[in-house]
Amino acid sequence: MTNALYIGIGPIIAVTLGVVVLLMVEVTLHPATRVWRLISFGSLISGFILAIVQWADAANNPQPIFSHMLMHDGFSAFGSIVLIIVAALGLLVAWPLVENDRARGAELVALVLLTTIGLMLLVSAANLMMVFLGLEVASISLYVIAGFIRKGARSNEAAVKYFLLGSFASAVFLYGVALVYAGTGTLEITAIAGPQFAGLTQTPVLLVGIGLIVVGLGFKVSAAPFHMWAPDVYQGSASGVTGFMNAGAKIAGFAALARILVVSFDAQRGDWGPALAVVAALSMVVGTVLAITQTDLKRMLAYSSVAHAGFIMTALVGGGAGIDALWFYVVTYAFQVVGAFGVVAAISGVASDESALKQYVGLGRRSPFLAGVLSLMMLAMAGIPLTAGFAGKFGVFRAALEAGYTWLVVLALVASAVGLYFYLRVIVRVYIDQETAEQPRVVITDGMRFALTTVAVLTVAFGVNPAPLLTVVSNALPF
Amino acid sequence: MIVTPVWYMMLAAALFVIGAGGLLLRRNALIMFMSIELMLNAVNLTFVAAARQLGDINGQVSVFFVMVVAAAEVVVGLAIMVAVFRRRASASIDELAELRG
Repeated sequence: MTNALYIGIGPIIAVTLGVVVLLMVEVTLHPATRVWRLISFGSLISGFILAIVQWADAANNPQPIFSHMLMHDGFSAFGSIVLIIVAALGLLVAWPLVENDRARGAELVALVLLTTIGLMLLVSAANLMMVFLGLEVASISLYVIAGFIRKGARSNEAAVKYFLLGSFASAVFLYGVALVYAGTGTLEITAIAGPQFAGLTQTPVLLVGIGLIVVGLGFKVSAAPFHMWAPDVYQGSASGVTGFMNAGAKIAGFAALARILVVSFDAQRGDWGPALAVVAALSMVVGTVLAITQTDLKRMLAYSSVAHAGFIMTALVGGGAGIDALWFYVVTYAFQVVGAFGVVAAISGVASDESALKQYVGLGRRSPFLAGVLSLMMLAMAGIPLTAGFAGKFGVFRAALEAGYTWLVVLALVASAVGLYFYLRVIVRVYIDQETAEQPRVVITDGMRFALTTVAVLTVAFGVNPAPLLTVVSNALPF
Repeated sequence: MIVTPVWYMMLAAALFVIGAGGLLLRRNALIMFMSIELMLNAVNLTFVAAARQLGDINGQVSVFFVMVVAAAEVVVGLAIMVAVFRRRASASIDELAELRG
């Protein structure tokens, strides 16, 4: 093994240690849930610090590490930082779910951390086989998380659907990898674009391989027409973890897609660019139209995440120039998703598999805090100015315009305008509609309050002044 | 007539299509699961054939990774199906239709 630079996998090691210690301690000592919290957040915080160190180190000497298996660069470090923050916020929201199930709660914490490890491998991978391994570590953990409520029929159904369609997507992705290997003779992401393979770049085998890779990752980020599983899975899973499941998969899925397409297949951009644009357009249309008809907030958010997958993909149609716009959008959207599903978990319960919109009537009076956070998240997802959603949309639209995809931007603007309808409908329910029956009082834990406050502050801060985050993401480019 | 690695790749492509077809057309969760395994093994065959053709060891090593991951997937998949089976005593996917809209 050459070039074993351990700071490049520092965050992954820290979180892995957390999982191992947590499971060992739980099996041998059966400690109080306080200990679970100590171990999991301790590993996440040390992982976060190591990711910051990695970021500082990678800025000076980005390089492939561990025999070209992983990449030590700003792209990996930034992805790890964001994923760890999202995992910590997700765990805070899911914590009541963990504590309610004394027998299996530690497993849920371990699975969330394992998912985070897989997603960090996914953003750091420099070899297509590593991408596959990261994808599977994350996906297999997510299948189990989806089915965590074992007695719930809907949770079971969500797990089976996620498992069958997710495994299908993994197999498709892997076949793409195999065909790329057959076409170029290498699995290294940086080597595929190397001069020794210049003569092979237009072979049909390679193009089919690229197409299958896009389809496989498109499944994971729930882009249409590969989104069929998303509404069922995100509704059927326990509300407490849905935000993390959705946000984590989006961040790492898009990061991997961006790295593979931009670094390996820049020469074929004329082939995959238009295909990506069509997928983006379909996602926006399908997600927006189907979200309008929903009466359940979880399901509506799932369809809206399909539409957002389309918006995020818009940043990639022009290749590497859109990576900073993609990062900005996907990061701010991840916070919005965690916030919105966090409110759902507070209103309908962390283990709930539904969240009818009528439960939110009069929330403005019952809980001004939750009502405020939910409204802010809806406005940000709709892309209202002074929220992070506006700055994000602005960036991805500009990237697509510069690449010459005017039709896609026009379509995206129409989709955003139509999207306003169903986002504002939630706010109308919360503040304007009158209660017909007495609704139960809302109680939320301190951890949830902290997580929701954090995402709300970040959403406003990045909306009012996007410059600091834009500076950071402009340095988070693949090596 | 000489059998070249390209033949194996074509066979693998056919197996992959059969697997994908099985997944999309069959309604029994276990059969669908077997179809996924068929797809993964088609990928393995492609890797081995390509490695042979290219004279490169990486493709053969990849097969081991794929096998290990497939085994892990089997464990989780069967566990999920057992959890469902306990509730319904049926492996038909059509009965899992509570979530829709």
